[in-house]
Amino acid sequence: MPFAQVAILATTEPTVDEPTGFFGALASGAEWFIGLFQEGASFFTALVVGIIPLLIVLLTAVNALIRLIGPERIEQFGAAAARPGIMWYPVRYLVLPVLAVFFLTNPMAYTMGRFLPERYKPAFYDSAVSFVHPITGLFPHANSGELFVYLGIAAGVTSLGFGLGDLAIRYLLVGMVVILMRGILTEFITARLMGRRQRNTTEEVPA
Amino acid sequence: MSSTTSSSPTPTKSSAFDAFNSTLVRLGRAVGGVVNVLYQAGRDTIETVIRNILPFMAFISVIVGIVNKTGIGDALADLVAPLASSLPGLLAISVFCAIPILSPILGPGAVIAQIVGVLLGTRIAAGDIPPQYALPALFAIDPQVGCDFIPVGLALGDAEPETVEVGVPAVLFSRLITGPLSVVIAYFASFGLYSTSS
Repeated sequence: MPFAQVAILATTEPTVDEPTGFFGALASGAEWFIGLFQEGASFFTALVVGIIPLLIVLLTAVNALIRLIGPERIEQFGAAAARPGIMWYPVRYLVLPVLAVFFLTNPMAYTMGRFLPERYKPAFYDSAVSFVHPITGLFPHANSGELFVYLGIAAGVTSLGFGLGDLAIRYLLVGMVVILMRGILTEFITARLMGRRQRNTTEEVPA
Repeated sequence: MSSTTSSSPTPTKSSAFDAFNSTLVRLGRAVGGVVNVLYQAGRDTIETVIRNILPFMAFISVIVGIVNKTGIGDALADLVAPLASSLPGLLAISVFCAIPILSPILGPGAVIAQIVGVLLGTRIAAGDIPPQYALPALFAIDPQVGCDFIPVGLALGDAEPETVEVGVPAVLFSRLITGPLSVVIAYFASFGLYSTSS
C-alpha cells in the first residue's frame, strides 16, 4: 500500500519536464544511440543462449567421432572416385564431396581433389564447396565459421514456433541433389573449355 | 578391481599375473585414449566457438541492432519480402548472386549470404515471408558460395595452373545455370514444409 500511495503521489506531483532545447536534443539523441546497441545486445543474448550450448555439445561429439575414425581413411576412397564412366559420377560428385566435407571440414575438404585427374578438379571443387552450407543444418562442425546462412533463416522459423528438423533434413537432401548436378554440369563446361583451349593452341603452333 | 588384483597373484603363477597385468594396462590405455580424444574434441570445440562463432555473433548482432532500430530493416523488408516470398523473386535473387562478375565479390567468407540470411530470418519471424519459403531462400542467397575461393580451392587439390585458368570460368558459368536451378529444386522440395499449421 505505501508503494501505491507513493506512486499516486508521484503521478500527481509535477513530473520533470522532457528536456528541451539543445541539451534535450542531445539527451534524446544519446538515448536513441544507445538503443541501437541495446537492440543488438538482446539479439546477441538470444543467439548465445539459444544456439551455443547445443552447438558445443554437438561439435564435441562429432569432433570426437572424426578423431576416432581418422580422416586419413577416406583418402583411400578418393582414389577410387577418379575412374571414368557414368556410374562413377555419383561417387565423384556426391559421395566423395559429402565425406570430404564431413570429415575434413571447410577449407581442407578441397584437398581431396588431388586424387582426381585435372579435368575433374574444377567440378569436384564446385560440388564440394556447394555442400559446405547445406551440411551445417545437421552437422555444424563442418563449417562453423559460416553457420548463419542456415542459422539466420532457421532462427526466423524457430521464432514462429516450428521445429527445425524438417528444414535441416530437406536442406541437406536438396544440397546433395544440387552438388551432383553442379558437378556434372561443371565437368561438362570444363571439358568444353579445355577442348577449345587445345584447339586454339594447336592452331597457333602451325601459324 | 583391487580385490581381484590382490587375490589372483600367487608367487607361483607369475605368468597369469603378468597376463592380467598387461590386460589392465591395455584397458587403461584404451580408456585413456578415448577420454583423451573426447577431451581434445571439447578443446577444439571451445576454440572454434571463441574464434569463429562468437565473433560472428557479435558482428551480426551489431548489424541487426542497427538495421532493426533505425528502420532500415522495414525499408529493406518492403524491398526484399515480395522478392523472397515468390518463386520468380527468389530466382531473380539467385541470378543476381550468380552473375560471374558479382559472384566472386559477394563470396568472401559467405559474409553477405550470412547477413542476408539473418535479415530474411527476422522477416520470417515477423511474418512478412511465409516459412515454407525458408528452403528455397537458403539456395537463392547462396549460388555464389565459394566463387571467391576457386583458385585457392583448386590449388589445395594440387591443380595445374592451366586447370585453374579453365576451372574459374567453368565454375562461374556453371553457377549461372545451377544457381536458379537449385532454387527451383528447393521450391518443389519445400512442398508440405510448415504448410499444415500456417
